[in-house]
Formats: sequence, structure tokens, C-alpha cells
Amino acid sequence: MGSGIFNLGTRALLANQTVMDTIAHNISNANTEGYSRQEVKLATEGGRYTGAGFYGRGVRVETVGRSTDANLIREASSTASVMAADTARLDKLKQLEKTFPTGESGLGYAASQLLNAFVDVANQPQDMSARQVVLARTEDFTSRMRTAAEQLIDLQAGVFGDLQNSALQVNTLTTGIAQLNDQIAATMGAGHDPNDLLDQRDLMVNKLSKLVQVTTVLADDQSLTVMVGGGQALVQGNQASSMSVVKDEFDPAQGRLTLTTGTKTVKFNETLLGAGAIAGLLKVQDKDIPAARNLLGQMSAALSWRLNQQQSFGLDLGKPASAGKPLLSDPQSSMAVLASIKNTSSLTTPPVNMTLIDGRQLQPEDYTFEADPNAPGQYLMTRSSDPNTVFSVADGSIVDGFRINITAAIPNGDKFVLRPVGNAARNLQAVMDKPIGIAASSPYVATTNAANKGTGTVSSLSISSTPNPAQPPTAGGTLKVVFTSGTGNYDLEFPAGTPIASGTWTPGQPISYNGFDLKLNGVPSQGDTINVTPTAYPNANNGNALALLDLRDEDLVGRSITDTNYDGVDDNGLADAPGANITNAYSQAIGSIGVRVQGAQTSADISQSLASNAKEALVNKTGVNLDEEAARMIQFQQSYQAAAKILQIAQSIFDTLLQTAAG
Amino acid sequence: MRISTAHRYDATIENLQARQTDLAATQMQLTSGKRVNVASDDPVAAARAERDLATMARADANQRALEASRNVVQLGESAIGDASELIQQARETLVAAGNGSYTAAERQSQAIKLKEIRNQLLTVANRADGGGGFVFGGQGASNPPFIDAPGGVQFVGQGGEAQASSSEKLSLTVDGSAVFLTAKSGNGVFEAAPGTNAVTGNPNSGSAWITPGSVNTPSQVPYPSAPNVAPPVYTIQFAVSGGNTTYSVLEDGIAMPAATTLNYTGKQAINIPGRGMSVNISGGPADGDTFTLQESNNKLSIFNSLDKAIAGLNTGTLNSGQVQQLVNSGISQMDSVIGNLQSARSSLGETLNRMDGIESRISSLKLIAQTDRSAAEDLDMVKAISDFQNKQTGYDAALKSYAMVQKLSLFQYISG
Repeated sequence: MGSGIFNLGTRALLANQTVMDTIAHNISNANTEGYSRQEVKLATEGGRYTGAGFYGRGVRVETVGRSTDANLIREASSTASVMAADTARLDKLKQLEKTFPTGESGLGYAASQLLNAFVDVANQPQDMSARQVVLARTEDFTSRMRTAAEQLIDLQAGVFGDLQNSALQVNTLTTGIAQLNDQIAATMGAGHDPNDLLDQRDLMVNKLSKLVQVTTVLADDQSLTVMVGGGQALVQGNQASSMSVVKDEFDPAQGRLTLTTGTKTVKFNETLLGAGAIAGLLKVQDKDIPAARNLLGQMSAALSWRLNQQQSFGLDLGKPASAGKPLLSDPQSSMAVLASIKNTSSLTTPPVNMTLIDGRQLQPEDYTFEADPNAPGQYLMTRSSDPNTVFSVADGSIVDGFRINITAAIPNGDKFVLRPVGNAARNLQAVMDKPIGIAASSPYVATTNAANKGTGTVSSLSISSTPNPAQPPTAGGTLKVVFTSGTGNYDLEFPAGTPIASGTWTPGQPISYNGFDLKLNGVPSQGDTINVTPTAYPNANNGNALALLDLRDEDLVGRSITDTNYDGVDDNGLADAPGANITNAYSQAIGSIGVRVQGAQTSADISQSLASNAKEALVNKTGVNLDEEAARMIQFQQSYQAAAKILQIAQSIFDTLLQTAAG
Repeated sequence: MRISTAHRYDATIENLQARQTDLAATQMQLTSGKRVNVASDDPVAAARAERDLATMARADANQRALEASRNVVQLGESAIGDASELIQQARETLVAAGNGSYTAAERQSQAIKLKEIRNQLLTVANRADGGGGFVFGGQGASNPPFIDAPGGVQFVGQGGEAQASSSEKLSLTVDGSAVFLTAKSGNGVFEAAPGTNAVTGNPNSGSAWITPGSVNTPSQVPYPSAPNVAPPVYTIQFAVSGGNTTYSVLEDGIAMPAATTLNYTGKQAINIPGRGMSVNISGGPADGDTFTLQESNNKLSIFNSLDKAIAGLNTGTLNSGQVQQLVNSGISQMDSVIGNLQSARSSLGETLNRMDGIESRISSLKLIAQTDRSAAEDLDMVKAISDFQNKQTGYDAALKSYAMVQKLSLFQYISG
């Protein structure tokens, strides 16, 4: 009985010391990331039975537990995962936005200045310096386009690098989790939780979910199975799978993820990826960068196609004057067919290619292309903006301004991506280097006869296709438009007196022949004539420069037509659904990129605040509060002192006893 | 509820950083003066500003077209003024040459003077526009457009006017052939001229001469004729027999009953019966002399008129009637040319007036675009400065509270 008080005192002393050790541990780790506050669980030692009842045997240290909450941990991980996806995407989008600068440094301004430069050529067609300005502006526009396209390529390269880094981090973390699983399972036999190991593992899972969204399952042996996407396991027991980045089967600039477990490598199911920085990066790679690249390419291809076309309608200052040569590189050469590396057909010259028919109808899209296994000679396509709508085409079909040519048999299962505009901006070059090459002159001149009695005057003589020089009016000859009635009937005479065609003029509608469209103001009287002659003095004529100037207002970007049989002709015969002029096309592009960034910013803000709330809830539960620890320290210090007092008193009891015995 | 000490510090630091970022963003707006620095700041405003910028660039381009056109129109206007003055001199010279007391030699000296005037006029017609082109170059012409060729001065080029802009009708050249080569012949309605002698088939040999004539009753005048009907030609034919001079008026070669074999008094007005036209014929016609009246055309070239007058004055064998005819026709033609020049000049003057209107339209359009762009992307300074001060105060308070709160710890109290 007498030793009981020593035991009780010692136990109390040790228990309080343990608690104070743990408090010291808490205080030490107050700022350790992922640390959960530990708490010593004290319990009474079971009572000792005597005839007089149960006597307490003092305090016992049951275990050291950590304050944690699996739900809060999961919540914090999943919100951190979403936040990481949004932040990763936002960072890239902010860089992406810089490729679409606004104002004077923008592409739209460069394009409109390029077209505006034709005003000086129109004012002084023979002035070489005005022509030089056009060439300089062309160079400026193309180099801005190329710079923007190159920025996108750099951005994609950055995304690829980030994906690789993220995969490396994922592998480090999964390996770490697997090792911890091993260690934790090994300690399970001891009957106590390895608190600090569990903390480390929770922290690693949290870090992992910032890279890729994971779900976790706790096994009986306390090892954690970590799964990703649709259930592909990243960590199982002490086995970690390894993630790596490979090149996309179509576009080697894009990265795809694979997962290697043991010796087996499988493609990562990216659609089930959910959140995490990797998901954000993949979204940028698969959606945002292609969208921006195709928008740029569409503008570049449409403007260069139309500018070159109009240039070809005019006459340059060469001797002899000839149809204008291209100002900009041909967008046809940038139309790319990407073949899957798994294809059995030729990879160097894929059996399908594209011919540009009308640059104004090009859309900012990539297309998937494969043979229809159920219908030989038919091919299935989808647009990147609408991957669920499959449409069927054949050799020679015209889709969105380009023709599809099948040059060899396409085996079933071979897949292609058609990229009509994606590379156009990057390959855009100014190819005209001589100022005399600018086709400022119109090939025809229209003059009203001085003897005309009506009020009809020439409103405009525009050229809609390159004239056939073998057809009237030919060099030296005059095509006479003779009005044979007061109601607009006319004959075309060539030479004068020999009618070769006739028609009826209606106000507002042009009189068209061999490439020219003649529009009139006023009303011609019977017998009035208008002479259309080949331009005799191309050095002084500015007709085509004015037509080039008019491209400022033409809806040359992204026209669409209703064409269900893919023959390139509008089915209902109505005018094309309008596209946008180059200024509007660029401002729409800016708007759409801006909205994209703004949307990403908003979701990043929201997910950030959710993540920080979840984290706050978690750390408030698990984190260390120094005031609390200080209070507890005082509390247990006093308990310790009290326990020490028990020993002191026990000693003095024994002393008393001994003295009495000695006495 | 407990609060994790470490997290409290983290959260406070994050807050401070967020406030600092916000403050920096406002400062950036203040220094750049722009509310929209990248498209995502306000995509709609950025797109609007982009379009406004294009409108402003467009206005500048239109202004350049306008200046180019104004330059040419002013040059053309002053050239036509110079030309009118020269033709006025030519007219005076011709009037002087009509002096009945002049000898052939004296007329020749006037012809030399006319020749000088003609050459000056050619220089004016070929006036350069200062940019490598010609004021009167039409829609393209040779270099220079008016060439002294056998058969008279020709406009070697394509008529009409080159346009400076496709949106507003602004000319870059003046139609030279219309100004100098296409005045109305005769009095503008009909053209009266000596014909050939009906008897000999040679030019008239008598001393009678005809004036340009006038219209009495416009409604009766057969010009311009109906479509697909050839305009009629009237011939006044004289017959002299035994000192008695009569005349008949023929319409397309058929005698008009109302004017057949009428007496001619030596100087009188002759009416074309029922056609509202009359001419004066003076002097003594020879038997068979004719004068014709036909529809006026617009192919009168000032150079041809001057050439004809010069050639006539250089001819030493003219009788007084022929001199009168020469001088009279010449003067009438020059009047017509001056009329043509005046109308061209006033049309150019009108164009200059119109340009003022266009210019003010261009500048107001530009101003609207500028205002709109500024409204879209510029910063409201007052608001921004107030925001900035607000945020500054907020940041200041956050810093102070952080400094105060971090002192609060139980350890501070138990240390002693």
C-alpha cells in the first residue's frame, strides 16, 4: 500500500511529461506544412479491488492521436485540385491574351493600315513611294501575324514542358505515397497510429491532387489506394504507376499522358481527368491554343487569299502591264493534313489533301477525317467546335471553302486531322518586293459618251474575275454598251455596231461581262452609250487600288453558306451569310479571347476562395493554435508540479515513518 | 472554434498580397490612363475600341484622299482660270483682226499673236499635277495628254475622271477632253455656217456672212431630234439674177413653202419658218451661195477654232465678208468655249465647296470614334484616384492591424 502513492505519483509525473512533450512537439511543428495537432489520450488505470471497494491506480497514457477529419481532408484536396486546374489555365491564358494585343500594336490595326495604304497608291498611282508604303505595311502585318503565331507555338511548347514537369512531380509523389503505405502498414501491428507518417501521406495526396484529381480508398492495413480519372490506379499498396508524356499521334507539338504499371503502358483517359493542374494544361492545349491559332490563321488566310485575288484582277506597272502577282504567300501552302502515326497509309504523303477554293469561307476549325467503314467512297468528318456532329463527304466535296481530294485508297481505321488554317498565320510571308508589282490599275476603263442624253453615269467599274484577254474588249478595241430603250435594255457591241450580247439593266444591278461589273448612277436614255475599253495607261489608272481599298469593308472573314451537298454552292441561292470584315474579325477575336480569359479568371477566383475556405476549415481543425498550446502547457505544468508534490509528500510520509521507526 | 496560428499568418499574408496586387493594378491604370489594358479587362469595350481605332485610321485615309483630290481640283480650277484668260485675249485679238481697214499683213501679225496664245493654252492644258500626273489627264493619258498632231491638237488618253475614293465621289483628275475639246458648236442649239455654192460646188464666193443666230420660239426648235430620227439640216440658198437677190430655205434639201424665193435686202434676219430659229446674213451673196443650219454638236475644240482662225488670218486673199465670217465664227466659238470652261470651273468650285462639307464629315466621324474609343477604354480619373486612395487606406489599415495582432500571444504574458 505504501508503494502505491509512489506509483501513482510517478505515473502522473510521466503522463504529464508525455503530454508536455507532445505539446512541445505541437509547438515545434506549428508551422510545419501538413502537420496535424497531436493529443495525448489519458485514461485512468483500472481500479484495484479491495474489500473496501475499488481504489484508483492513477493515470495511464493510452495513445497519442492526431486531430484530423477525413472529410475535411478530402474536401480540401478536391477544391485544391479544381483551383490548381483553374490557376494553371489562367496563367497560360494570360500569356495567350498577349498574342492578341489591342490598339495600335494590334493585328487588326496592322491589317487596316495595310489596306488604308492603298489610298495613297490610288491618289498617286505612279508614285513609287506610296507603293513602297504598301509593301512596308504588308511586311509589318505579316511579321505581326508570324510573331503572334510563334508566341502561340512557344506557349504550346511551354504547356508541353509543364506537362512533363507535372508528370515528374506526380511520379515523385506516387512513389512517396507507395513507400509511406509500406511503412504505415508495417507499423500497424503496434496498435498505434503512426501520426507523422499519416500526416506526410495526407500532405502528399493533397499535393498530388493539385496536379491531378484523385480519389482514395483506405485499405484494412491502412495503406491508401490512389486512383485517378475513371479508376486507373496511381498507387496501390506499395506499387506506384508511373506517368509520362508522349507526343500526340497527330500533332507532335501536343503532349498526351500515359500510365505505366509494371510493364504495361496504357493511354491516359483524359476525358475523365477532372481537375488538377494537368487537366488545366490539357484544356489550354486542346481547346484554348487551337482556338486562338485557328482564329489567327483564319484571318491570315482569308485576307491573304482575298488580297491576292483582287491583286490578280488588276494590272501592275510592268512592261507590258500584266495581272498582279501575289502580295502575300498563298494560304493553300499552309493547309496541313496531319496523319495519325498509327495509320497504315503513307505518313509522308497522306492519301487526302485539300485545295483552297474560297478563302472567305474558311472557318477557324480543325477537322477529323476518316473513311466510312460502312460506305466505300464516303468519308466521315467532324469539326473541332462540334465533335459530336459527324458529316459525310466524298472525293471532291467542298467543305467550308476547301475541296477534299482523295489521292489514294484510305484504309478503314486510318485517321487524319485536316488543318486548313491552323498554320496560315505562322507561314504568312510578304512575297512582293517590287513596288511596280502592285496592281493598282484596273484592266478596263468605262467612259460615258459625251453625247449621251440620259442621266446615266458610271458609278463603278469593278473587276470580279481576271478578264480573259481573248474576249472583248481586247487590246485597242472598245466594248460598247448601247442602250436600246429607255427602260434599260442594252446591247453589248464589239466592235461597235456588232451586238454580241444583250440584257436588261435594272437600277442597282451591275452590267457584267468578261470579268467586269459596271454599275451606273442615274438612268440612261435610249441611244446612250458607255464605252468599256482595256486600260491604255495603267500607270495613271487607280481602279484596282480603289477595289483593294474597298476590302476594308468586305466581309471576307468566315462567310458561311448552307451547303448540304458539299458542292461549294449555296443550296438556297441566297446570298452568303455575312462574314466579318478584317477589323471586325480581329475585334471579335479579341473579344472572344478576352471573354475566355475573363471566364477563366472568374472560375479561378471562385475555386480559389472555395479551396481556401476548405483549407481553412481543415487547418482550423488540425492546425496548431499556439495560445491553446501555451494554455495547455501551463495546465500540464501545474499537473506535473502537483504530481511532483505527490512524490514529495510520499517521501515526507516515508521520512516520518522512518523517523518514527528509528525513534 | 479554434484558429490555426500558422494559417492565420498565411491568410493575413495572402490578404496583404491581394490588396497590394489590387493597389498595383489601380496604379497601373492610373499611370497608363487606360481602364482596358488587355482585352480581358473588358472584352466588349476592347472590341469596341478596336473598331473605333479602325474608324479613326479610315478617317485619316479618307482625309488623304480628300487632300489629293483637293490639290488637283484647285490646280484644275486655276488652270481653267488661266485658260479662260488666254481665250479672252484670243477673242480680243480676233476682234481687232476684224478691223475693216486692216491689210492682209496686219491680219497676219494678229495671227502670230494668236499662235502664241494657242501655244500657251496647250501648256495650260498639259499642266502637271505635281505628282507625276496631269491635271487634265482623265482616266489615264499619254505624257502629256494633249499632243499637237497633224489635224490639230488631240487628247491622247481615256476620258472621264479618275476617282480618289470609292465612298465619296472625289476626282483625282479633270476630264481634259471635256474641258477643251467638247464645247458646244454654234450657239449651243444649232450651228450656222457657210456652205458650198450650189452652182459651182466650191465654197461660197460671195461676200455674205452669217451670224451664229438665235432661237425665237424654243418649243418649235427641232433639236434635239426624237430617238432614231436624224436631226434635220436647213439650207439657205441664194439666187442672184439680174441684180435681184432672193433666197429660199430648204429642210433636208426640200424647199419649205413658207420661205421660198424671198427677197434679200443685203442685211437682214432670216427666219426658218415654223422652226423657231433665225439667223442674220449680211453682205452680198453670189448666185448659188448657201448657208447651212444644223444641230449643234459638242465636238468644238478650242485648238481647232484657234488653228482655223490663225490659218484664215494668214490667208492673204480674203474678201471682207470672209473676214467678217472668220472673225464672227471665231468669236462665237470662243464664247462657247469660254462658256464651257466657266461651267467646268464652277463645277470644280462647287466640288471644292463640297469638299469642305466632306472634310467636316470626316473630322466629325473621327471625333465620334475618338470619343467612343476613349469612353470604351479610358479611365475615369476622378473615380480612379478616389479608388486608389480607398485601396491605399485599406492596405494601410491591413498592415497596421497585422502589426497589432501579431503581438497578441499568450506566450507574451507567460514569459515573465
